[in-house]
Amino acid sequence: MISPEFSIIDLLGYQFFQYALIGGSLAAFACGWIGLFLVLRRESMLVDGVAHTAFGGIALGIFLGIDPILSALAVSVLAVLGIGYMRGRGLAQSDSATAVMLALGFSTGLIVISLAGGFSVDLFAYLFGSILTISQQDLVLVSALGVVVLAFLTLFYKEILAITFDAESAKMMGLPVRTISLIFNLIVAVTIILSIRVIGIILVVALIVLPALAALQLRLSFRRTVVSTVLIGMMSTILGVLVSAYYNVATSGVIVFTMVAVYLVVAVYVRLG
Amino acid sequence: MGSEAVIEVKGLDVMRSGMLVIQNANFEIDRGDYVGVVGPNGGGKTTLLLAMLGMIPRHRGMVRIFGQELERFSDWGKIAYVSQDAINFDSDFPLSVRELVSLGRLSPRNVGRPLRRADWSRVDGALEFMGISELAGKRIGELSGGQKQRMFVAMALVRDPEVIILDEPVAGIDAVTQEKFYQKMSDLNQKKGITILMVSHDLTAVFCRMSKLICVNREVNVAEITPETDPNEILRKAYGEHFHFVFHRHECKGEFKND
Repeated sequence: MISPEFSIIDLLGYQFFQYALIGGSLAAFACGWIGLFLVLRRESMLVDGVAHTAFGGIALGIFLGIDPILSALAVSVLAVLGIGYMRGRGLAQSDSATAVMLALGFSTGLIVISLAGGFSVDLFAYLFGSILTISQQDLVLVSALGVVVLAFLTLFYKEILAITFDAESAKMMGLPVRTISLIFNLIVAVTIILSIRVIGIILVVALIVLPALAALQLRLSFRRTVVSTVLIGMMSTILGVLVSAYYNVATSGVIVFTMVAVYLVVAVYVRLG
Repeated sequence: MGSEAVIEVKGLDVMRSGMLVIQNANFEIDRGDYVGVVGPNGGGKTTLLLAMLGMIPRHRGMVRIFGQELERFSDWGKIAYVSQDAINFDSDFPLSVRELVSLGRLSPRNVGRPLRRADWSRVDGALEFMGISELAGKRIGELSGGQKQRMFVAMALVRDPEVIILDEPVAGIDAVTQEKFYQKMSDLNQKKGITILMVSHDLTAVFCRMSKLICVNREVNVAEITPETDPNEILRKAYGEHFHFVFHRHECKGEFKND
C-alpha cells in the first residue's frame, strides 16, 4: 500500500501516472474493439501466438540497439503474414500455424538472449508490462498506433463484421474478403504491440479477450456490445492501475484480476437477473 | 413475361469427392421466372446451385449469368443467395435483426464508407415487406426458424437483386409459416419482378405457385409448369418410376402462376 501521506489524488498529479492512465486507456480501447472481433472469429489464440513472437522481436531490438517496440512490430507483422501464408497454402490449420510462429518467435528471443550473454532486465518490462514507466516517447508511439487501429476499425468495421459473421456470403457480395482479413490481422499485430508496454507479452491476451467476453454476456446488439466492450476494457484498466498503485503490486496482474472480476460479476448478474 | 435468360447452364458436370454429382445439366432461367428446384435428398440440388454461382468448381460445361461467362461476371449485387445453412449461425452472435439486414447493403462500391440514411430506409422497407419490422431490435439468436428465414430474405432484398436463390428456405418450419413465406415470395416475383430460384421439398407449393421446375437427381430435367403439366411425368425422372405425387389443382386456390 502507498504511504498514508500519498493519496490517489496526489498520484494523479504526477506525469508518469497520467501517462500510465492515458496509455492504458488507449491500449484498452483498441484491444477491446479488436478483441471483440477476434473472440467472434474464434481466433483468440492468434493474440497469444503473435505476442510471444513479439518477444523475439523485442530481444532482437535490445540486442541490436534499436527501439524494441519497432523491432517487435516488424517481427509480429512477419508472423501474421507467415500464419496467413501457411493457412492460405494449406501448410497448416490456423491454430497449428499460430503455434509454429509462437514457438519460432519465442525461440528467436531465447537464442538472442543467450548470444547477448544473459537475461536483460529490460526484457522483464516487456514480458510483464511496465505501465508506470511509460515515457513520453512511448506514449506518442502508442497514440500513433492507436490512431491507426481506430481509423481502420472505424472505416471498415461493417465489412469486418460481415466477414466475421459469414465470410462466404461476404465474398459472394463482392467484398474484398482476403485483403480486409489480411489488413485486420496486421492491425491485430499493431494492437498487440501497442499493448505490450501496458500489460506485457504474457498477459496481453487478457486485455484483448476478457472485455469482449464480459460484454458478450450482456446479449446486446453489435453497436452496444462494442461500446460495452470498450468501456469494460478502459474502466478495468484504469481501476487496475489505481488499485495496483494504491497497494503497490504488479499493475498488469491487477488489471487482469479486475477484468476477470468484471467478467464474473457480469456473468452472474445476467444469469441471476 | 420477358424471355431474357438471366442464367444459362450448358453441358454442366460437377464432381464432388470423385463422384459425378451433376451430369450434363442444360437449362435456362429467364427473367421473371419463379423456379422450383426439386429432387431427392443427396440428388445434387445444392451442388447445382453452388456450381452455378461459382462457389464450387465445375468439372465440365458452361454457366452464363446475365449473358456473361461466370468467370467474367462481377456484378454480384444482382444476385442474392440464401444458403440452406444460413439460419445455423452462432446464436450468441451479437447482432440485432436490423444490423444484420443492413449488412446486405454492403458492396464493393461502399467499402470503407458508412451506410447512408437511404441505406437504412431500404433496410426498414425490407423488414416491413417481410413482416418483421417489430423484430428489428431483437437479437438474431432469439428468432424462430421462420423469422430467421424472413430476416435472411430481407437481407437479400436490401441488395435490390434481380435474382434471388434460396436453398430450402422453409425446411423445419410449420405449415402456416411456410404458406406465408411462399406468399411473400410470390409477391416478390409478381409485384417486384424478381426472378426466384428456390430449392423445396414442398411439391404442392412448387406446382401451385411456380412457373418452372428443375428436377435434380444427378440428371437435371427441366419443365415449364402450366395447368396442363402432368407432375408425375417429370417428377418420376428424379424420384423413380414408382413415385406417385397426388396433386389436386383445386388445392391451389387459384394460385397457378401461368393460368
